[in-house]
Amino acid sequence: MDSVLAVRLQRQLGPFVLDIDFETGPGITVLYGHSGSGKSMTLKSIAGLARPDSGRIVFGGKVLFDAASSIDLAPHHRAAGLVTQGNTLLPHLDVQGNVEFGIHDLPRRERAARATELLDMFGLLGFEHRKPRSLSGGQQQRVAIARALARQSRLLLLDEPFSALDDALRNSMRRELLRLRTELGLTILFVTHDLREAHFLADRIAVFDAGRVLQLGAREDVFRRPASRRVAELTGVANIWEGVVTHVAPEAVAVNVEGASLRASPPARAFVPGERVHAVVRAERVNLRRDMQAASSPRNLIPAEVVAEFAYGSSHVLQLQPEGPGPRIEVEIAARPYEVLNITSRKLFNVEIDPADIHLVPGEDDHGGAITA
Amino acid sequence: MSLSEVDWSTFRISAQIAVLATLLCILVGTPLSWAISRTRPAVAGFLSSVALLPLVLPPTAVGYYILYGLGRQSAFGRFLIDDLGIRLVFTWQGAAIAAAVVALPLFVRTAQAGFEQIDPELLDVAATMAGRRRVFWQVAIPLAWPSMVAASLIAFARSIGEFGATIIVAANIPGETQTVPAAIYDATQAGNTSLAHTLALLTVVMGILILTALALVLRRRATARQAR
Repeated sequence: MDSVLAVRLQRQLGPFVLDIDFETGPGITVLYGHSGSGKSMTLKSIAGLARPDSGRIVFGGKVLFDAASSIDLAPHHRAAGLVTQGNTLLPHLDVQGNVEFGIHDLPRRERAARATELLDMFGLLGFEHRKPRSLSGGQQQRVAIARALARQSRLLLLDEPFSALDDALRNSMRRELLRLRTELGLTILFVTHDLREAHFLADRIAVFDAGRVLQLGAREDVFRRPASRRVAELTGVANIWEGVVTHVAPEAVAVNVEGASLRASPPARAFVPGERVHAVVRAERVNLRRDMQAASSPRNLIPAEVVAEFAYGSSHVLQLQPEGPGPRIEVEIAARPYEVLNITSRKLFNVEIDPADIHLVPGEDDHGGAITA
Repeated sequence: MSLSEVDWSTFRISAQIAVLATLLCILVGTPLSWAISRTRPAVAGFLSSVALLPLVLPPTAVGYYILYGLGRQSAFGRFLIDDLGIRLVFTWQGAAIAAAVVALPLFVRTAQAGFEQIDPELLDVAATMAGRRRVFWQVAIPLAWPSMVAASLIAFARSIGEFGATIIVAANIPGETQTVPAAIYDATQAGNTSLAHTLALLTVVMGILILTALALVLRRRATARQAR
C-alpha cells in the first residue's frame, strides 16, 4: 500500500471537463494522450498546483487532497518531486544550491552529503559550483531530477521532461530514467504525447482523451488489447476494421470483415454472432509469407498485393490490397526483412495474421470505456 | 544664478520625503505587486485598479483625502493623534505618506512587470519544494531584483518632485516642510525669478542623475534577462 497513488478528480474549465479516476503504484505510469487531453492538468492537481473542483488524491496512505473534508495540502507538503519541460533551475543559485533548495531544513552537513550523493548518481560531480546557464540542456534536466529527488520524494511527477532536448540526448535520458526506476523503486508519473516515448518508458500506461482516462493497464495490454476503438487509434493501431461476428466457439471467434472471414482468439469480453465489432490489428504484428498456400491452417492467410509503401529508415510501412474480398491491410516490417523478402520487385504475398493478434472491441464505441487496471 | 539665496533645507526636506516615500512604496508595493502577478485574474484586477487609482486622480485630490484621513476630522486621524500621539499633518513625514501614495502606481507597475517576467513554470516547481514565504524571498525577489531597484528609483524620482499632494498635507513651512518644488512655487509667486531659475536648474541636474542611474539599472535588467 505504501506507494499506491489513487487519483479521483473533477474539474470544469470552461467547456472542458476533466474527470479522472485511476490508481497506480511503483514503476513508471505514462500519462499518454494528445495535448489538451488533461494529462498535465492531472499532474498539476496531484502536485497541488491546480485545485480540482472535487475529488480525492491519496499517495502512500496520505491524503493530499480531499474536497469533501477540505484537505488541500500545500505543494511543498505533498512530498512529490516535479520536473517539467522548461529550465526551472534557479538561475541565481549554483548546482549545489539548486539541489539543496528543497531541503533547507536539514543540517548543513546532511544537506551537502545528500546533494553530493545525488549529483554522483547523475554523473554531475564537479559541477557543484556551476551556474545553471553554463550547463547543457541534458545536464540541466539531470540537476532538476536530482533536485526533485533530494526531498526523498517517493512520488516523481515528470511533465514531458525531455521534450526540449535533442534526439540522442533524449534517448540517453530515457534510459537513465529506466535505470533510476529500478534502483529507487519510485512511483513515477510521466506525461508525454510521444507514442514511442510512452512505449519505451511505460510499465503501465494511462490513455487520456478529452479529459478522461480511457484505459489504464500494463503497457502490452493497452497496446495489444485496447479497450475501445478510440484507444486503438490513440495508441497508433494502423488496422481498425469494421466487422460482424459470424461464429463463436470456445477456441476462436470468426469475424467477417469486408467479405473476408478472419479468426480471432476468444476475447475477454463475450461477443455474440451478428454483433458489430471493430477488429484491431497492429501493423507490426502482421507477417508476410512468400509461400502462397491456401488458408488451411488456424492462422489467417490472405493473398494480397503491395499497393503502397513508405520508408521510415529503420522500418517500412506497406499497404496491401487482398486479391479476393477483404480489408486493405497495413504492415510494418523492419528494414532487413524488407530486403530479404525482396519487396522492391515482388508484390504478391500471403499476409499472415495470428488470431491472437486480432483484437476485437465493441462496434458501438463508448468513449468512456471501462478502465481496467 | 544666486546659490547664496538657496535655502538648502528645502533639498534636505525633499530628500527626506523622497527616501521615506520610497521605503513606504517598497514596503507596501512589493507584496502588492507580487500578489497582483500571482493571484487569480479577478482579484489581481481589483488590486491593480486600487494601486493605479492615484495615477488618474489629481495629486491635490489625493492630498485632500490624506489630509482628511490623518487629521482630526476622521476617526482614524483622531485615533492616531489622541490615542497614539502621532501627528502627521503639517509634518514632512505626512508629506512622505502623500508622496508615497502618488508614487505607488509607478512602483507597482514596474515591480509587477519584474515579477511577471519570471517563468511561472519555475515558480510552480519551486512551490513544490518550499513554502510561499521562501518562494517569495529566495526565488521571486532575487529574480526580480533589477526591477525592484528600477521601481524604487522611479518611486524616488516621482516623490522628490511631488508638489500637489505634499503641499496639501504638509503645507509650505520653510525649514520644516518646504520642499524644492514648493520653494520654486514660492519664488515664482514672489517674483524672485533668479532664485526660481537656480532652483529649477538644480532640479534638472538632479533629474539627469536619477535618469542615468535608472538607465544603468534597466540595462542590467535587460542583460540579466538575456542571460537566462
